[in-house]
Amino acid sequence: MANETKFSEQESLQLIAEMIKKAKGSYHDTGIGSLLWGSVVSIASLMNFLQRTYDFKLWFDIWWLVLAAIIPQVYISIKEKKIQKAKQYDDDLVNAVWLVFGISLFAMGFYQNIVPFQVEKTIAEEGWTLMKHFTDGRPDEVIRPFTPSLYSIYILFYAFPTMVTGLVKKFNPMKYGAIITYGLFFLSLFTESRFDMLLGSIAALVCWFIPGVILRKKYLAQTRPNV
Amino acid sequence: MSLLISVKEAEFTFIREKTNATAGNLSVQVQKLKDAGYIEVIKQFKDNYPQTTCKVTPAGLKAFEDYVKALQQYLKV
Repeated sequence: MANETKFSEQESLQLIAEMIKKAKGSYHDTGIGSLLWGSVVSIASLMNFLQRTYDFKLWFDIWWLVLAAIIPQVYISIKEKKIQKAKQYDDDLVNAVWLVFGISLFAMGFYQNIVPFQVEKTIAEEGWTLMKHFTDGRPDEVIRPFTPSLYSIYILFYAFPTMVTGLVKKFNPMKYGAIITYGLFFLSLFTESRFDMLLGSIAALVCWFIPGVILRKKYLAQTRPNV
Repeated sequence: MSLLISVKEAEFTFIREKTNATAGNLSVQVQKLKDAGYIEVIKQFKDNYPQTTCKVTPAGLKAFEDYVKALQQYLKV
């Protein structure tokens, strides 16, 4: 049978405060998602930088690695949902932000590949072409239209959901990661596009990988006594 | 109620873990709150195991707010 305990008014308020604190402290992301995306995006960006700097090619496009990471992410999401025992009010908001981010990145991939092709087609129809004219007397070269410094936009994108999550969940590593990434975005405006890749690699580390390591440590510390 | 007020919904096991209550004791309290219309109790199966999820109703939220206000007035916080 349940034992009823009479609390004084002071004790009641104290208990309420304690329970609210316990519920708020119960937020624990496993950190695996952050670690996954932090490492995958960082490796892909860094590899792209190395490829362009040392002029070599892999047998596959390194960005396929990022696309392939969706599969373990789906598995992680299903597994995390199963072990989640309480749902916070802001969980839906944070999940929605990351979903929109994912869709936007996917759409950016289309933009990046379709726009230059369409521009090339349009200017060909109009009967002119883009040329690279060298001032040192070398012969002119035809250039394919491209979206300049596009990876800067990606870096800007990386900061957005990270900052929202950091602010909503009051998780400072993500806030600081996003602030550093905004700085990297501005820096990337002045750098050559291959260095944007290097900056993007750093952005992925500070936005997701480092917060992921911290989240993972916290999660393991919280779950250890229950094992 | 204080625990449930801070989350959108919580599983029975989560509440038991946080309150350090026994399953029997907590079941009685949950039933009382449900009867009063303060919480909604959803019983379902998850991976072939029974799962009980609780969430505060608007009436429960109002009652809780009134209770805290009364406590604060009494203690002049």
